[in-house]
Amino acid sequence: MALLEAIGISKTYPGGVVANDGVNLVVESGEVHAVVGENGAGKSTLMKILFGIEQPNAGALMLDGKPVRFANPREAIEAGIGMVFQHFSLVPSFSVYENVVLGSEPRSGIRFERHKAIAEVKAISDRFRLSVDPMPAVMTLPVGQQQRVEILKALYRNARILILDEPTAVLAPQEVQELFVAIRSLVAQGKTVIFIAHKLPEVLEISDTITVMRQGKTVGQVKAKEVTEKSLAAMMVGREVTLRVERKATDQSQRVAEIEGLRVVNARGTEVVAGLDLNVHAGEVVGLVGVEGNGQAETLEAVAGLRAIAAGTIRIADKDATAMSVLDRRALGLASIPEDRIARGLATGATVAENLVATRLNETRYVRNGLLDLKAIKANALQLIERFSIRVGGPASTVDTLSGGNMQKVVVARELAEQPKLLLVNQPTRGVDLGATQFIWRTITDARDAGAAVLLSSADLGELLALSDRLLVLYRGRIVAAFVNTPDLTPETLGTYMLGLSTQTADEMKAALR
Amino acid sequence: MTELFLTVFSAAFFVTIIRTTTPLLLATMGGLVADLSGALNVALEGMMLIGCLTAVIVSVYAPWYVAVGAGLGAGALLGLVMAFFSFRLKADIILVGFAINILAAGGTVFALALATGGDKGTSINLQSKAVPSVDLSFLDAIPGVGPVLTAFLSGHSVLSWIAAFIVFAVWYFLFRTPWGLWLRGVGEYPAAPEAAGIPVNKVRTWSLIVSGALAGLGGAQLAMFNYVGFTRDMTAGRGFIALGAVLLGARHPVGALIAALLFGAFEALAVVMPGLFNEAPAELIRMIPFIVTIAALILFSVRAQRALALRGVK
Amino acid sequence: MSSISGTNKSSRWSAVRKEIGRAGGALLISLIVTFVIVLLTSKDPLGAFEQLLTQLPQKTRTFGYWIDDVAKLTITGLAFSLVFQARQFSMGVQGQVYIGALAATYVALSPLGASWAGIPLGIAAAMLAGAVYGFLPGIAKAKLGANEIVSSLMLNYVAIELCNFLVRTNLPKPQAGVLTTNDFPDSAVFPMLVDKTRIDLGLILAIVAVLVVWFAVYRTSWGLKLRLVGHNARFAEYSGIKSTFIMVSAMTASGALGGLLGSMFVQGQTYGKLTVLFEGNLAFEGILVAIVARSRPLAVPIVALFYGYLRQGAQLMNIRTDVPAEVIGVVTAIIILLVSSSYSLAFLKRLFRRGVATAPTPAAAAGAAK
Repeated sequence: MALLEAIGISKTYPGGVVANDGVNLVVESGEVHAVVGENGAGKSTLMKILFGIEQPNAGALMLDGKPVRFANPREAIEAGIGMVFQHFSLVPSFSVYENVVLGSEPRSGIRFERHKAIAEVKAISDRFRLSVDPMPAVMTLPVGQQQRVEILKALYRNARILILDEPTAVLAPQEVQELFVAIRSLVAQGKTVIFIAHKLPEVLEISDTITVMRQGKTVGQVKAKEVTEKSLAAMMVGREVTLRVERKATDQSQRVAEIEGLRVVNARGTEVVAGLDLNVHAGEVVGLVGVEGNGQAETLEAVAGLRAIAAGTIRIADKDATAMSVLDRRALGLASIPEDRIARGLATGATVAENLVATRLNETRYVRNGLLDLKAIKANALQLIERFSIRVGGPASTVDTLSGGNMQKVVVARELAEQPKLLLVNQPTRGVDLGATQFIWRTITDARDAGAAVLLSSADLGELLALSDRLLVLYRGRIVAAFVNTPDLTPETLGTYMLGLSTQTADEMKAALR
Repeated sequence: MTELFLTVFSAAFFVTIIRTTTPLLLATMGGLVADLSGALNVALEGMMLIGCLTAVIVSVYAPWYVAVGAGLGAGALLGLVMAFFSFRLKADIILVGFAINILAAGGTVFALALATGGDKGTSINLQSKAVPSVDLSFLDAIPGVGPVLTAFLSGHSVLSWIAAFIVFAVWYFLFRTPWGLWLRGVGEYPAAPEAAGIPVNKVRTWSLIVSGALAGLGGAQLAMFNYVGFTRDMTAGRGFIALGAVLLGARHPVGALIAALLFGAFEALAVVMPGLFNEAPAELIRMIPFIVTIAALILFSVRAQRALALRGVK
Repeated sequence: MSSISGTNKSSRWSAVRKEIGRAGGALLISLIVTFVIVLLTSKDPLGAFEQLLTQLPQKTRTFGYWIDDVAKLTITGLAFSLVFQARQFSMGVQGQVYIGALAATYVALSPLGASWAGIPLGIAAAMLAGAVYGFLPGIAKAKLGANEIVSSLMLNYVAIELCNFLVRTNLPKPQAGVLTTNDFPDSAVFPMLVDKTRIDLGLILAIVAVLVVWFAVYRTSWGLKLRLVGHNARFAEYSGIKSTFIMVSAMTASGALGGLLGSMFVQGQTYGKLTVLFEGNLAFEGILVAIVARSRPLAVPIVALFYGYLRQGAQLMNIRTDVPAEVIGVVTAIIILLVSSSYSLAFLKRLFRRGVATAPTPAAAAGAAK
């Protein structure tokens, strides 16, 4: 009998996005069960349903052969299910042991028994080979250790089944190996691990059974021993051919962005971009490849002028932009589509027309002597609504009356209203359905064809390979490999560099680092 | 000038400081509990004021301890109202706080006029009771230090002793009980306790109730010991000074105690100065807590920023 | 949210209608609660309510009280609207009123006050002083990260105590011991617009202020930036808007309005001199006006008309019946609580139907799972 079973799970979000469509999952006791699929395949939604965060519209869950229903995470926890998210839920100033026991503290009377808590945390971490010092505040710990604290939290609550949501996305390779040691020790002691991932080598290394998801459906369940990376990849993407975008030949001789010796230090004082040199030319897309958190996002923010840099120079269109304000950079022809388009790229309470001119308030077209030219602002909005076919009541409707996809279009319309010289794009299709993906890819490619220099970052290797002319692999804030994009270039090749397993020599990179 | 020094270093002045500090300290503890749970309780002022009036009116008909309990209960009730509107009805907690302050400013005068038959200024024609003071004159018997001990320790309000205990209780609760851990977790990063199954809004609601209860208790001390009877607007900004004391005390019970004592000392000074000098600038002395609070606010903010800078953030 | 179909004008009107409905509902609920209180406490509850609701326009004098109050409520409402638009909770209008009044008083009681410059210079000095006083918490927040709510509240008390101190010691007064200054010379007192009423130049200033603030917020790029910062400060930063500058300038402009209100108090027909605690907690009433008006400048005077009517009606009720005027504080608090919350009539219905002791709602459970 299976330990945990999901039968015919369907979930449609308000707004009509079908995240799960008749999903089946059978997890046996004592195994590492991987759930793989591309971004947006519905893995996370399924896990949220298993953990009681989301309620399915249809289908059933069976635990130990008995039907169960979790109205909230608390009920899932009580049933012995623990979950570790990509974003940790830890109180930063609390110590490790305080975070672990928070919510089910050992107590005598009204007193919180600290010593007992510390001892228990120590015991669990020894038993499962998750060595963490219980005393320091979690905010002082590296990410890998914080993840262990999350795992300890679940174990402390006697989780039998542990769900790890893309646990390796935030880890360095060394930490990944340590995590795998811990997972093996967990399974050896009778725990069951559900492991969400999209990196196939890792999946094959750690798991016993693999369930493959694609576009909200389960494609199949296989034994890890019986598949290869290739056959698994084929199951994940369905067809061997991924979407390719028609591109024109462009003149790529003119250098638009020159970044030299860029260093960025984050709020914790760690160097996240460590001496980056790169150029982007008119008419080309340069893809930044890397496991998330290796400096891609920070590089884009630094170029956009949204993040202070520790050292280096940034030249845009032959002007030194290092010390320029956001607006001055934009005046040079910079446009940027941020990762979190709704939270960062829109003022949802303001009107569509206002959002469409927000980045151009220094232009005399829309503002003269500090006064708004309402006619011009409205005309601009009408024109862009038409051109990008945004479905909206009118220019004076507030953005929050739009559907999610149309909100995204407002951002794209504003940034591409005029042909940019340098376009920065971060995760353009994260959380976007297939139709919108095609629209966004087309838009980026059109900008490139018309002569924009595009710097693109994405967690989706397929996307990077489809759109980029050149690919630069970032590892710990440095470029470790550079490629001119050819049909021969495979995700596997990029993968070894992304994980820092190998590094190209300066000579090897030279051709692709022009 | 010598007169001033003699006054300041006298036992009587110490007793005055304790008296002026007590209401402030209770409100400060209330502010601290709310602040650590993540809510800036700007309604302390209104809660205190309603606590004052409730205690005075109830004391006309009931023993003093019932009146004190009523003041405490009134504050707790206001905390519950505040929680209901801000957590259940999603109103901004600052606006809810000011609504309570406005309700208190008008409502107390209205209720006072009803209770006194038309007097909107004071409750002078109500026979309200006082909180008894604790007589420790038996300490005189201790040879040597006895008289000194009596001079310093005797004559404080019962509520002053209770307030001292409350400082300890709040500290113990925050740092030695599981619920204190919950409360601090909710205030710092609510997603974490939420993920651990802690009912975050319930924790917040209880902290506002306790916050209100402590402010109401402070009001009872103010209207049944510092002054006996109610005067309109008698809290005179003490609720806001308490907010300042929380900040100045670095959001820790002991720090808050010291800050409240400091502010209490200024108030005591403002009380005794006019008796010593004709043109004593009592107004300027009353201003000091507010200015010190602004200075503390800026100091802590600068320190927090510098700490970030030290870690290499530009 | 409203549907995206339909013409855009009609959807905007339906939103406005919804706001008016909510505000009207809140007013009605608060009046019902007040009526119940009056019913329980007054010998003549109907008479009291008649005074509250019908008597104000009957006499020129009382009509004047109303309009004077509306002018002042409008200014404080505008001051709060400006900071609320930027999503700053600066509570400093009260302090700005006192500081502005002090500045106006020093001008009015100086030789300049006796000249033609008494009025314009008094207003200018008050606005300047208020602006500085509004600037302080703004810059402290922008440069040092100091919480603007706390610092502005503290500055209120500093201003009040400073005013008390200066009136008692420094400013000329008719006789020792009184806590008011000498009357201002006529040349420094706002002229009456309607004979034998308090309606004075302040009304015109309020109308001008409404138009200026509306224009600044909806017709200038500063105003658009202000609104964008208020909607989403991260987006504003991404768009290249200097959000700290916008924030500080909004708090400074709001301070100037607070200062203007100070001058309207002491230079107006009501006082014509500076006296301690002259402001009677009117400044904080701007919170209600701004919230009900949803921080929209053109809606501010309309809300002020209604609210001023209640306030002054309450004064009549106070004088002529046994119900104290302060009962209106209940109305104010209930309106703020309801309008600033997500209350709706449907919610209230549900609440009453289910009673108090209920299990957690599905909504609350879903909230806990987030």
